[in-house]
Amino acid sequence: MPSLADVGQLLVNGVMAGTILAVPAIGLTAIYAVLRFPNFALASHATIGAFAGYVANARLGWPLLPSVATAFVVAGSVGVVTDDTVLKRFRPAGYITTAIASIALTIALENVVRFVFGNELRGYELPIQRDWRIGAIRVGPQQVTNLAIAGVAMAALFGFLGFTRMGKAMRAVADNPMLAAIKGIDADTIGRIVNFVGMGLAGLGGMLIGLDTTIDPLTGFRSILSVFAAAVVGGLGSIPGAVIGALTVGIGEELCLLFLSPDYRSAVGFAAILLVLTLRPRGILGQRAY
Amino acid sequence: MHEIDNGGDMPHRTREPRRRFLKRAGVLALGGMAPAIVRAQGTPLQLGVLTPLTGAGGFDGPRMAKAMQAVIDEVNANGGLLGRKVVLVVEDGQTNPEAAVRAARKLIDVTKVPAIMGTWASAVTSAVAPLCWESRTFLTTVSGADSITRLPHQGYLIRTQPNNHLQAGKHAEFIASMGVARCFMMSIQAPFAEPTQTRATEVLKEKGSQMVGTLIYDKDKTTYRSEVDQALRTNPDLIYLNGYAPDVTILLRDLYRASYAGKRFAQSYAVTSKVLESLPHEVTEGVITVQPSADVTSPAYELAKKRLGIAEPDSYETQATDWASLVSLAIAKAKIATGTGIRDNVRNICQGGGTKVYSAVEGLKLLAQGRDINYEGASGPCDFTDIGDIVDCKFRYNKVTDGKFVLLKVA
Amino acid sequence: MENYLIAMAVSAGIYALMALGVNVVWGFAGMVNLGLVGFFAVGAYTSALLTLKAGWAIAGGMAAATIVAAIVGAIVALVTVRLRGDYLAIVTLGFAETIRIVASNAIWLTNGSDGLSGIPGPGRGSLSPEAFNLVYLAIVGVIVAIAFFVNERLRVSPFGRVLRAIRDDEQVASVAGKHVTLFKVKAFAISAAALGLAGALYAHYTSYIAPDIFVPLFTLYIKLALLAGGLGNNRGAIVGAFAVVFLLESTRFVIPLVPGITPVQGAAIREFLIAALLIVMLRYKPRGLVPEPSTRLPVPPAASGYQPTA
Repeated sequence: MPSLADVGQLLVNGVMAGTILAVPAIGLTAIYAVLRFPNFALASHATIGAFAGYVANARLGWPLLPSVATAFVVAGSVGVVTDDTVLKRFRPAGYITTAIASIALTIALENVVRFVFGNELRGYELPIQRDWRIGAIRVGPQQVTNLAIAGVAMAALFGFLGFTRMGKAMRAVADNPMLAAIKGIDADTIGRIVNFVGMGLAGLGGMLIGLDTTIDPLTGFRSILSVFAAAVVGGLGSIPGAVIGALTVGIGEELCLLFLSPDYRSAVGFAAILLVLTLRPRGILGQRAY
Repeated sequence: MHEIDNGGDMPHRTREPRRRFLKRAGVLALGGMAPAIVRAQGTPLQLGVLTPLTGAGGFDGPRMAKAMQAVIDEVNANGGLLGRKVVLVVEDGQTNPEAAVRAARKLIDVTKVPAIMGTWASAVTSAVAPLCWESRTFLTTVSGADSITRLPHQGYLIRTQPNNHLQAGKHAEFIASMGVARCFMMSIQAPFAEPTQTRATEVLKEKGSQMVGTLIYDKDKTTYRSEVDQALRTNPDLIYLNGYAPDVTILLRDLYRASYAGKRFAQSYAVTSKVLESLPHEVTEGVITVQPSADVTSPAYELAKKRLGIAEPDSYETQATDWASLVSLAIAKAKIATGTGIRDNVRNICQGGGTKVYSAVEGLKLLAQGRDINYEGASGPCDFTDIGDIVDCKFRYNKVTDGKFVLLKVA
Repeated sequence: MENYLIAMAVSAGIYALMALGVNVVWGFAGMVNLGLVGFFAVGAYTSALLTLKAGWAIAGGMAAATIVAAIVGAIVALVTVRLRGDYLAIVTLGFAETIRIVASNAIWLTNGSDGLSGIPGPGRGSLSPEAFNLVYLAIVGVIVAIAFFVNERLRVSPFGRVLRAIRDDEQVASVAGKHVTLFKVKAFAISAAALGLAGALYAHYTSYIAPDIFVPLFTLYIKLALLAGGLGNNRGAIVGAFAVVFLLESTRFVIPLVPGITPVQGAAIREFLIAALLIVMLRYKPRGLVPEPSTRLPVPPAASGYQPTA
C-alpha cells in the first residue's frame, strides 16, 4: 500500500516535471494559436536551445542565467529563420501539409546538431547537489531553480501577452485573424514574434530538461510526445491551458506509477489525450488563446 | 479544416509511366556508378559495417565503427589483406529493423561484402540475419537476445557478447562475493530485461544473497526520481543499473541526489570513459562496471587501449576490435574474401592449438609464415560454440575512483 | 545490384499499397489517419502468427490479415467518428503507439520485443534469394495493380463522390441524406484492409517482424509519398511511394563522395538530405508530382463562369 508520503512525493515530482514541461508546451500552443498548425519542429528547437546553452555554459564558461538566456535567444532566432525560409511557404497548402513539413524540418535540424556535436552525451558545468528533505518529501535544489526559471519565463510571457501592445496584437490575431487584419495588425510580423517567443521557449525548455540530466541530439525528440500531450490536454491554442495541461500530464505520469509498471509511461500520455478528448474534446481550457 | 486537391485537367496517361521509368533508371545509374568509383582505386577489399549511427543506439554505433577502423588501419599499414587495401563500408542501421534491412541489402547486393559487422539492437540483428545467411554473408554482433544464436544461421553468425544467461549468472556471483545481502535491479525496457532478472535472482539466492526487487523503466524519460524512490524503499546494498548510457547517466545523477550510499553496478558500455567525463566525480565515485574480458594477463586489452587512445575501452569497443580482427584473420586463412570462407575458417584462427596472438597484425604475420594461430581477443578468449555464442569468458570489474577507472579484479 | 533494385522495388511496392489505402481515407474523405502503421502492424502480426504458429497457408494468412485489419479499422472509425480533424489525427496516432506497446509487452502472443522470426515466404528455402525476390516482386506488383484499379473504380463511383462530398463539407453531405458515419466507417475499413495486407506482405517478405518496426516515422514516409504524388491521386500515390524509396536509398551513394567525415557525420548528412529533399519535393509540387485526372468533361471556363473544385 503506498503511503501518503509516497503519494506526496509523486505529486511533488509531478509538479516539478509538469512545470518544466509547461515551457515548451506554451511555445507549441502559442504557435498553434496564431499560425494554426502544430509545429513539430519544436523538438529540434528544444535541442538547439539546449546545445546553445551548453556552448555558452561549458565552452564559454558563462554562469547559469546568461546561458539560459542564450538558449532562449538562439532557439528563438533559429525558429524565426526556419519558419520564414521553410514553413511559411507551406501555409497556403493547409495545416496538415505544414505540420508534416515541420516534422521533416525537425529531422533536418536534429541532424545539423548531430553533424556538429556528434551523439555523445554532454553535461552542463553545474555543480550537482543532494536533495533537500522536507519531512518525508525529497526536493532537489536544481528542481527548484528550474521551477523558478520556468516560473519567471511564464510570468514574463503572461505579462507580455497581457500588457504590451505586441502581446495584445498577438492575442488579437490568434482570436480573430480577419478582424486583426482589418485593424491593421501585420500578420507577418506577429507570426515572426510568435515564432521567436514560441521556439525560444522550446529552447529554454530543452535546456531546463538538460540541466537535470545530459543532452544529446535526441533531447528534444524524447520529450515531444509529452509536450504535445500537455498542449492538447489543456486545449490546443490556449496558453493558460498549456500550463494546466502540462501539470496534468506531469502529475498524471507520476501518479500512475502507483499502479502501473514504469515502462507503460508513454501509454499514459496517449491515454491522457484520449480521456480528455472523449470527455471534453476542446481540452480543459478550450481554445481561446488567453 | 480539410485538404482540397484541385487537379488539373490535362491528359497525362503517357507521363506517369515515363516518370516511374526515369526514377528507376536514375537509381540504376547511381548504383552503377558507386562501385565503379571505388574500383578505380585498385580493387580494395570491402568489409561491411552496419551499426546504429542515429536513433536510440546512436551513442554506441560510432564507438564501434571507430574501433573497427583502428584495427583496419593497422592491418592496412601492415600490407592489407590478400595484398589488397581493406576498406570499411559503413551504413547506418538507424536502430530500426526496416531501415537496417534496406541498408544490409545494399551492402550485400551492391557493395558485395563478405562480412557485415556491428549490429547492435536485437531486433535489427534478428531482421538482418536471414538476409546474411541466405546470401552467405558473415554477420558479427553484440546483440544480447538469447533467440539470436538459436536462429538457423548455418554458422554465418557469431556473437562476441556473452549471452544473458552467462552474464547474469556471473554478475550475480560477483555481487554476492562482495558481501551484498540486498540487491535491487533496475532494467531498461529491452528483451534482455526479464531473462537477466530471472537468472540473477536465481544465482543470488544460490550464493546466499537476495534480490529484493526489480523494476523496468521507460527509456525516454528525462528524470527517474520516482523509479529511484521505488528502488530505495527496499533498502538495497547494491543497485544493478541494467541500461544504456543515456538513461544510466540520469539514474546515477538521481541516485546521488537521493543521497543513496550503497553500491552501484553497471555494464561498461553504460558508464564509459566519455560518460565519466560528462558527469561530476561525486556522482560516479565508487560505481563498479563490468565487461567481458580475457585473462588479466592478456595483452589484447592493453593493445586495444593503446590503439584507441582510451583509458579503458568499454565492452562494445573491445568487441568491435575483435570482430575486425577475427574477420581479417579468417579471410587471410581462407585466402579468399567470401562469407563462406570466413565461416569455415573463423574457428580455426581463434580456437584450439596454435600460437596465441593478441592482435590482427600479429596473427597475419604468423599466418603468412604458414603457422597456426589462436586469436585471444580484447573482449575475451574468443572461442565460439557451434551456434555462435562465446564458450566462456572472464569478466573484468572496474571501480570508478576520482573520475577514473581502477581495476578491481578479473574473474 | 539487380537483386538490390528488385528488393527496393518490393519495398516501394509495399509503400505504394499503403499509400493507395491511405488515399481512400485521406485523399478521398479528407480524414487524417496518423495511426496507419498500427493497421500495418495488425496485418503483419495476424498473418505471421497464423502461418507461423497455426500452420496456415500464406495466402490464407494474408487474407485473414486483410479482414482483421479491416475490422479493427471499422472499430477505430466508430470510436473516433465524432472527433474533429486534428483530434482524429492525435487519437489515431495514439492507436498506433498503443498497438506497438501492446506488441512489446504481450510476450505470450507476439514474443515481445524479440519479435517473430522465421515467418514463411512463398518459395523461401526452395528458391534462390534472387528468384524469391523476383517472385515476390511479381506478387506485390499484381496486388498493387489490383489495389490501383479498385481505387480508381472507387474514385469515380458514387461511393467516392460521397467521400469527397464529406471531405469538402460534412454538414452538406449529411443534410443531403447520406449516412456520414457509415461512409466514414467503410472508408476506414477499406483503408485499414490495404494497410493490413501491406503488413502481411512485409512480414512474409522479410521473415521477421518486431514492434520496433512499427514506428511513427513509417507513417511519415507514407504521408509524404501521398502529398508528393497529390492527395486523392492514385497514380500519384504510387509515384510518390517510389519517389520516397528512391530518396531513402539514393542518398546512401552520395555520402562516400564527401571527403574527410566521420561515419556519424555521414549518417547525419544523409538524414539531413532525405529530410531536406522531402521538403523540397513537397514545396515545389504542392499539388503533387502527378496532377489529379479530372472526372468531368472539360468545360470551357467562359461558358459557365463556375470553377469546378473536385
